[in-house]
Amino acid sequence: MAKFLEDARILSNMNFAPDLWSLRLQAPRMAAAIKPGQFVKIDLGESGHILRRPLSVYQADLKAGEIELLYQVVGSGTRLMSAWRPGETRSLLGPLGMPWPVPEGTRRALLIGGGIGTAPLALLDQQLKADPAITVTMVQAAQTAERLVARGFFERTVDTWLCATDDGSAGACGLITVPLEELLATQHFDVAYVCGPEVMQAPVARLCAQHGLRCYVSLERRMACGIGACAGCVVKTTSGLKGVCMLGPIFDAEEVCWDDNVASRVR
Amino acid sequence: MTMSPHESADDKRGTGTVLSDMRVMIGSLTLANPILTASGTFAAGREYSDFVDLTRLGATTTKGVSAVPWEGNPGRRLDETASGMLNSIGLQNPGMEHFVRYDLAWLRDNAPELPVIVNVVGHRVPEYTAVIEYLEQAEGIAAYELNVSCPNVDAGGMAIGVDPAAAAKVTSACRALTKRPLIVKLTPNVTDITEVARAVEGAGADAVSLINTILGLSIDAHSRKLIFERAVAGLSGPAIKPVALRMVYEVARATDIPVIGMGGAATGTDVVEFMLAGATAVALGTANFTNPQATTDALDELIRYCEQQGVSAVTELIGAVRPAS
Ligand SMILES: Cc1cc2nc3c(=O)[nH]c(=O)nc-3n(C[C@H](O)[C@H](O)[C@H](O)COP(=O)(O)O)c2cc1C
Repeated sequence: MAKFLEDARILSNMNFAPDLWSLRLQAPRMAAAIKPGQFVKIDLGESGHILRRPLSVYQADLKAGEIELLYQVVGSGTRLMSAWRPGETRSLLGPLGMPWPVPEGTRRALLIGGGIGTAPLALLDQQLKADPAITVTMVQAAQTAERLVARGFFERTVDTWLCATDDGSAGACGLITVPLEELLATQHFDVAYVCGPEVMQAPVARLCAQHGLRCYVSLERRMACGIGACAGCVVKTTSGLKGVCMLGPIFDAEEVCWDDNVASRVR
Repeated sequence: MTMSPHESADDKRGTGTVLSDMRVMIGSLTLANPILTASGTFAAGREYSDFVDLTRLGATTTKGVSAVPWEGNPGRRLDETASGMLNSIGLQNPGMEHFVRYDLAWLRDNAPELPVIVNVVGHRVPEYTAVIEYLEQAEGIAAYELNVSCPNVDAGGMAIGVDPAAAAKVTSACRALTKRPLIVKLTPNVTDITEVARAVEGAGADAVSLINTILGLSIDAHSRKLIFERAVAGLSGPAIKPVALRMVYEVARATDIPVIGMGGAATGTDVVEFMLAGATAVALGTANFTNPQATTDALDELIRYCEQQGVSAVTELIGAVRPAS
């Protein structure tokens, strides 16, 4: 799939929870090209910030030619983004990375999302639900109820939706692994898809492995080129270093060397 | 007037104007235009082929190639800084055999006219010469660029390039093995870059390229930790352009060989400035990350500049900067 640049017009940029934002863009080519799990890099349009920010795509509306990205303000780049106004134009680079794989014969899929990282599961959910033979179960986690990203969308579209929050303001109180463990003990799934902070992904991947459940994770790294040229965004895997931008962001959880990777992360 | 390589009937748009001659020479090598890619930012071109018509580049410079595969550095490798970035890649590359079999082969098949400059790395002199000896057997290499300036490895790279005698030694060892143009890439992390430039010129270099990245360091205030495992990393991007321009200016005056300028160049105007400072050709590196078609955008802008300024040959710009008053 060829990558391209597209000038996207900002349709809206909305704050939906403390430091969580939704950015809607008019980008018909990207909306048509993006596959679930892939991401785009957006130019901050400021000369002081030279690296485009990688963002996964939450929604893509083919008919309207729109895409929606969800982001959390964590640093100076995303702070800048939160000041963007409708009508402004930003350059998009994409579609980047490999999509979520759906193994042949999948009937029961499990989506596991944490925090803002839940966003790239939405397009996958749509893709899975387009096949009437597939049922989708989702476990979503966040610090608080209001930070359960796209909760309405997922509650509406998946077959079974569970959640956990750190403060117990919705669903189970505490770590996602608690409700997940119960679920895996009582139900069978063909494949699990995990997206969220790596400190959550690592124990979730371990749990899936214990239950013999095939598990795909979506990883994030600081990126420079985004197209596989600079070796800046590598992760350690059982078959050597792999660039997140080209060979990821989706990885089979079994091939990720979790200890090396989680330890070496600085957020 | 001969047709310069970028000319075509389309370019003339029936106006009858004669376009500027964009050709420049690096030693015995003629380039269609002065715009190159900086090593390590453009891989071997393939990744950019969705964005750039590679045949329009003056030349492409590959990622550093070593005798055996190098893993690169552990831990985090990138950090954005004000108008720049730090990298600690550590010359990760799959080695010379893989390079010839896959990357060079791809370039020969897909951009046969594009001059390929191979960036050569090693820990010690015998590793540099092993790469040159091996690549001498391969067709389709326009020149070598000896990287004695990477700050992200413990041996080789910059450890050689900060010492004029060591830089001269690796240059003459490689010079003895090849008739292909030999470029030596210099580090800015020295007190007097002209000393190293003169040393490698004396040892047989056909050209020098500069600057490699400037040593920097990043700290995370919240965790109170260093960002990079090696503590230091290499600064690149627009932030370093004034330093690069100054060093190109100094080296161009101190030597008689062509200078390839780089360090923060991102636009056609930047290319003009580097040429006025004394560069014969200019490489874009970090700019490719911001805009994957930065090279051809810069070429278009350079061509427009020459036409608007009545520059009939781009070589007129080399070192032509005038005093402030
Ligand atoms: C990610 C990255 C990787 C690099 N890898 C190499 C390399 O393999 N060999 C080399 O000689 N220089 C390497 N460099 C240095 C660049 O070629 C260039 O000299 C430097 O970045 C300054 O130019 P710029 O500001 O246009 O990037 C690298 C730079 C970056 C940012």
